[in-house]
Amino acid sequence: MSGSPAVRVSIESSCERQVQEVSLDGVETYVPPLSMSQNLAKLAQRIDFGQGSDSDEEDLNGESRESEWSKQNPDEEGPVKFQPCLWPWDSVRNNLRSALTEMCVLHDVLSIVKEKKYMALDPVSQDPTVAKAPQVFQLISKKKSLATAAQVLLKGAEKLSKSVAESQEQRRQRDFNAELLHLRSQWKLRKVGDKILGDLSYRSAGSLFTHHGTFEVIKNTDIDLDKKIPDDYCPLNVQIPSDLEGSAYIKVSIQKQAPDIGDLGTVNLFRRQPKARPGAQAWHSKLEAAQNVLLCKEIFAQLSREAVQIKSHIPHIVVKNQIISQPFPGLQLSISLCHSSVEKKNQRTSPDKTKPDDHLYVLEHNLHQLIREFHKQTLSSSVMPHPASVPFGPKRLRLAGPMAYDKAEISSLQPSDGLLEKIIKQAKHIFLRSRTARTIDCLASRIEDPQIQAHWSNINDVYESSVKVLITSQGYEQICKSIQLQLNIGVEQIRVVHRDGRVITLSHQEQELQDFLLSQMSQHQVHAVQQLAKVMGWHVLSFSNHVGLGAIESIGNASAITVASPNGEYAISVRNGPESGCKVLVQFPRCQAKDLPKSDVLQDGKWSHLRGPYKEVHWSRMEGRNFVYKMELLMAALTPCP
Amino acid sequence: MEAPPVTVMPVTGGTINMMEYLLQGSVLDQSLDSLLHRLRGLCDNMEPESFADHELVYLLKGQQGNPFILRARRSLAHPTAPWHLRYLGQPEVGDKSRHALVRNCVDVSASHSLPDFLNEMGFRMDHEFVAKGHIFRKGVLKVVVSKLSRVLVPGNTDNTEPLSLSYLVELSVLAPAGQDTVSEDMRSFAEQLKPLVHLEKIDPKRLM
Repeated sequence: MSGSPAVRVSIESSCERQVQEVSLDGVETYVPPLSMSQNLAKLAQRIDFGQGSDSDEEDLNGESRESEWSKQNPDEEGPVKFQPCLWPWDSVRNNLRSALTEMCVLHDVLSIVKEKKYMALDPVSQDPTVAKAPQVFQLISKKKSLATAAQVLLKGAEKLSKSVAESQEQRRQRDFNAELLHLRSQWKLRKVGDKILGDLSYRSAGSLFTHHGTFEVIKNTDIDLDKKIPDDYCPLNVQIPSDLEGSAYIKVSIQKQAPDIGDLGTVNLFRRQPKARPGAQAWHSKLEAAQNVLLCKEIFAQLSREAVQIKSHIPHIVVKNQIISQPFPGLQLSISLCHSSVEKKNQRTSPDKTKPDDHLYVLEHNLHQLIREFHKQTLSSSVMPHPASVPFGPKRLRLAGPMAYDKAEISSLQPSDGLLEKIIKQAKHIFLRSRTARTIDCLASRIEDPQIQAHWSNINDVYESSVKVLITSQGYEQICKSIQLQLNIGVEQIRVVHRDGRVITLSHQEQELQDFLLSQMSQHQVHAVQQLAKVMGWHVLSFSNHVGLGAIESIGNASAITVASPNGEYAISVRNGPESGCKVLVQFPRCQAKDLPKSDVLQDGKWSHLRGPYKEVHWSRMEGRNFVYKMELLMAALTPCP
Repeated sequence: MEAPPVTVMPVTGGTINMMEYLLQGSVLDQSLDSLLHRLRGLCDNMEPESFADHELVYLLKGQQGNPFILRARRSLAHPTAPWHLRYLGQPEVGDKSRHALVRNCVDVSASHSLPDFLNEMGFRMDHEFVAKGHIFRKGVLKVVVSKLSRVLVPGNTDNTEPLSLSYLVELSVLAPAGQDTVSEDMRSFAEQLKPLVHLEKIDPKRLM
């Protein structure tokens, strides 16, 4: 069994169909097998409907009815004999029998109703809610209405979301518009095509500078409204011309003249940090800085134009961004435009920190003021012509013809000083004033007796200042106040007005002022003696401000005074010079002089009370803190008590 | 003594070759205020300047047909200001695209003896009028808004009667010959005044 090969067994069913015929060529034609319905019909024919549950009494009727029934319904199956082996078909048979019964009854009723003699048909109202079909309709209609409602809601939601997006966009736009309004309230704007341009130049304020000064306003749209808006977010941005970026200022400084030319034009460009005002918009500070740069450029352009055109004794040097001129010999005034753009932030961060800041801020401010004055002048109503048909131009030149001015008058009508000359004059004055102050302070600290006081006037002009200089002795201010000088410091000269009415003009040299003050101080000592003599009761015998005797002083002149005591016995002679100092001699009466030869001429004793020889006083060894005090002590010592 | 030599060459250069570019328009009395406000905003930032002038037009009839016209003008508000003598030439017949009326213009300031001088020279006064109004400027542009009044009694400028119920608006620039960019600026300025007043070039020859 295991080793033997598998045997193929083929099975063939026996042919159960009957052969209907055999044709001449040997092909067998089988009777086609019964289909399902045919089979069913064959089996159903075996059912005997006559043998039902109540078939005993209706047997005959059933047969007749069945025969009638078969006549009317030829499609129905014919009656078949009852076969008890068809037990599963019992229920079928019973149902069919009862259906037949019902149908027969219906037929009978209908035939009776047709005659209308014994039965009539009446319509029966139907309950509409019972019907199944309306429920389906309700469902469908509810579904439809819900769908419609859902659609309406969806549409509404879509509209809402669209409007929210729009309002966000609107808000952005409104912010931009509000910001634009704010910008417009402070700066000139105009619309050109679809761009918004602005004007940050001073042209509408009267400037004649040719820079266009146009800036552009752009919308700042790179912001996502869903994220948090940064604090310094601004919906609009301004774009300023590239040459006005950064910050600039004009530096005016006075230095000692450099021994060689050096490297001109390379003024340090250290950046002054612009003070950002809190609450100011970014565009505001940007525009202000650009406007400042423009103004500084205009100032520098005007200055350099004048430096080149106007002839002066010592020509000005204009190199790159610096103008150098010489106000006084040995001195150099440099005006430079320091413009640092934003990119070069770390470059040259004040390498000259060690140098003292000699930037004269006052002159920078004055430059700004002067250019604004110039602007205002072009807009003043004196520019307007009367009568109205006269062309624009300087009013005074218009008068030159009818008034027959000559050349001198016309040149005097021309505008006097340009910007550069004015600034140079102011610089000269500032320098002279500071040097005068330094001189006076030096003297005051060096010399203690007499004291020098300077009272500077608070109210100055740009070209003139004044100071009152008092020379006094400490403790004797009320008595010795004869030297009071009023110094008027101008642009190049100092005018001194003395208390006694003399007017002296000093040049800008500081040595002159120093010498003058020293000479005044020495004169003061002598004047003090004079005043003191008055107070002490001594008599002034002689007084001279400028003695011509004795050694020649290199500064000023020596002064001298001789005073005599009240009783005439003693006399004090003082000679004071700025360089030679003071020399005090006392004249004694003859009787006190020891080494006087006795003479026979003088008989009377009273002649010995006359004053005789002089003796010098060791002034440095005298007691007293200053000259006048010493003098007072001397006088007191020489005045005997009564 | 010989008379000093007089040059017979015509004078050129200086102020002789100045051209006046002119645009004119008018506005009714009721709209004057709005026009003044607008001009105040557009022009240079100055206080509005008003003027009152008395102009006399002098004619010199020569042998030829066209008389020679000179205009003498003085200020009534500033009596000490000098007189102003003006010659306006014929409008230049250039291309039609030029937006403004261009004519040669010579301006001279004169002393107060000008009317007598002109009379002595042979000029006769043709007519006179009084102009009162406001004057504005924008750079080189001059805008004059004036009301012209007729002088009823010759020589008496107090008794005047307005010529019309409107104000004359003139936009003018005085420039050397050959600068045609000026007319472009004038046109753009006139555009800004457009709905209030229409400034255009009015050829005086067409009016006569």
